[in-house]
Amino acid sequence: MAEKKVDVLIIGSGHTGGMAAKILTEKGISCTMLDAGPMINWERDRTLKPASQLPYRGFDAPGRLPHVWQSSEFSANQWVDEKVIPYNYPAGQQYNWVRVRTVGGRSPYWGRQSFRLSDYEFKCKDHDGFGENWPISLKDLAPFYSRVEDIFQVVGDMDNLPQYPDGNFVKEDTPRSAAMQRFADAGKKMGVPVTKPRSSRGRDGMAASLNLLIPDAVATGRLTTIPNAIVRKITTDKNTGLADGVIFIDRHSHREMTMKARIVIVAAGTLETTRLLMISEICNSSGLLGHHLCDQIYGAGIAASVPEARNGKGTRAVIGGGGLIPRFRNLETKTPGFMRGYAVNVSSGNLDPRWFPEYGPALQKKLEEYGGSGFTTNIMGETLGHYENHVSLNKQVVDAWGMPTLTISTKYGANEDNMAKDMVDTTAAMAEAAGFEVLVKNYKFNPPGYSIHEQGTARMNDDKRKGVVNQWNQSHDIKNLFITDASVFPCAGWQNPTMTMLALAMRASEYLADEMKKGNV
Amino acid sequence: MKRRDFVKGLAVTTAAAGTALAHASKTSASTETLDQAAAATQATAQTDARAQRARQMASFHTPNIPVSQPDVVAVTEQRYFTAARWATLVRFSDLVMPAGDGYPSATQAGAPEFLDFLIGASPADRQQMYNTGLDRLEADCHKKSGVSFAKSSAQQADGAIRPYLKGWINDHPPTEPHEHFIAMIHRDVRQATMNSPAWATAAEVAGERTPGVGLYVSPIDPGMGTWVNHGATRAASTTAPAAAKPAHS
Repeated sequence: MAEKKVDVLIIGSGHTGGMAAKILTEKGISCTMLDAGPMINWERDRTLKPASQLPYRGFDAPGRLPHVWQSSEFSANQWVDEKVIPYNYPAGQQYNWVRVRTVGGRSPYWGRQSFRLSDYEFKCKDHDGFGENWPISLKDLAPFYSRVEDIFQVVGDMDNLPQYPDGNFVKEDTPRSAAMQRFADAGKKMGVPVTKPRSSRGRDGMAASLNLLIPDAVATGRLTTIPNAIVRKITTDKNTGLADGVIFIDRHSHREMTMKARIVIVAAGTLETTRLLMISEICNSSGLLGHHLCDQIYGAGIAASVPEARNGKGTRAVIGGGGLIPRFRNLETKTPGFMRGYAVNVSSGNLDPRWFPEYGPALQKKLEEYGGSGFTTNIMGETLGHYENHVSLNKQVVDAWGMPTLTISTKYGANEDNMAKDMVDTTAAMAEAAGFEVLVKNYKFNPPGYSIHEQGTARMNDDKRKGVVNQWNQSHDIKNLFITDASVFPCAGWQNPTMTMLALAMRASEYLADEMKKGNV
Repeated sequence: MKRRDFVKGLAVTTAAAGTALAHASKTSASTETLDQAAAATQATAQTDARAQRARQMASFHTPNIPVSQPDVVAVTEQRYFTAARWATLVRFSDLVMPAGDGYPSATQAGAPEFLDFLIGASPADRQQMYNTGLDRLEADCHKKSGVSFAKSSAQQADGAIRPYLKGWINDHPPTEPHEHFIAMIHRDVRQATMNSPAWATAAEVAGERTPGVGLYVSPIDPGMGTWVNHGATRAASTTAPAAAKPAHS
């Protein structure tokens, strides 16, 4: 069969690959989307089962996914097995790389918290001197956020806080329970805002590329989707230096194939994108490809009990519902010990037996008494994308398809330690002021990668010496190559990155469509 | 789809007819009188039958045959822990999860046997944590009460357990080694008990909701692990790199 040149080749079908496919095909441009994993058949591949019917009673096979702390025996088959695609890290610098390889990427599994970044993030260097500003501001991205929020049906309240920009929300009108109101009141006295959560409702129980983006592209008749296609190299034209296609390997047979393309969009997920660019030996004239890796710390927090909800009195009026404390540190004042800030997820109602230093009948009695009175806070803290936090290729260790793997060298420091301590002490004080019984305080946080919010390593900057892509997600080195995932983020912020990834992918795709129309790319 | 089936059927027909003719040509002189047209017709009929059978099997619906967990009729063979550690584990299990309200105790649910299997199959650091921890429980009980943990009263056992019980949240059990062990074994015994078939049966008898139900993901097309396990090979190049060719060529 004669080799055909596709208009736009999209590598990856998660949130940003799906968004690029939707926008471009709706503008009349043909796209071919490759995904390294299989197509999902949700009905066939997933079923409700009790743990008692699983071979390991819910524990999963020992040692199977040591770095995927989110995994259980129920979900183990959905994650990438690190024996198939290994990675490593220097001794003492654990990194939990959590990956999915199926059409739709990680998009079916995200937490759905839906936030905009504010200019405290976009103009972070102006604010505190660390890192680099983004080449865009909230004003540039706001119209795209609005459209993304509409597609994803983000439910939320207007809070009128500059660090927590409002958006195009489905109104959240559930009244607060008395416990949550008391916690919010306690926060107000301490200068800590407690808002309602914001999250994507999606459609039909899902808010993923799989159901909200890709079907729209399919409906245009201009999308070709190829699963099980593992791109091992982006190829370039020797004369022009432009990207001219890819070489990919069929996952099943290991058959190697080439594909030619006019435009290449890389949307493989932060570290897979950077790995592919490194293997392809492109997009690194700045020397910054692979650097400034950042994410958010999770895991620190408190567990408490709301006294009036005990002994079966925890009605919805008394307790229940969640909340969010958006960043409040280092905005107009300076907090000693750490830069940037954290947000806090707040939830109420559920209880966990691990909170109690009891066992046997005494524990059972506690659970009966305290049942339904639980209250927790959990940190989402911005980590700093130091230059030293980086990834590099490990050619000595290859994956199941012969591709070099990644060495991930990153670690947290005093900034994260002090941030977590401040969060635990502050929310414990708020809970006590609200009359709750604090049962556990945990200052420890999870290793880098755990939040599945890896960002950076191909950051955005209009100066080609300081970044890999420009403000349109376009490679400085290769004008017909765009990167749409979170690898382009110059800083992490405290926010779940999904809304920003989607808005940037939408904006970049519209720019690309215009440039194609003008004949500029 | 119909067209594809037709093409496939055509290919099978051709192959089958070819085989039949080849077979005929190898037989004795009497085959010369064989009506080749009849043979072809017969082969076509066989092919149609095969295609029909394949279609029938493709549309077959699996009958509903209820299946049971092996624990309903069999017990797990205990083989990993030493006798002393096993005795400590059994005693600990029934202290933290005694029977009550129609639900089985940890031992009635086979939790110690399950953990013997699980820990025996676990990475070395987890085995070490369990072995050291069980030994420590035994040593502490002897030191405080002068009896083996396995034969201790509830009060004597409590003296060895309670000082190391700590509340914890998220993925962060206590870091002090023995506190960590107590947190882990406590969690594991509870889970092995409450996720057991015996516990599920008790819930059913009590008319309560089936416990521990979750969304199970099957291996997907055909499972990421397959590629490592079966060692699929990659075709070697015969056109490029000289290194791939014999040195003497």
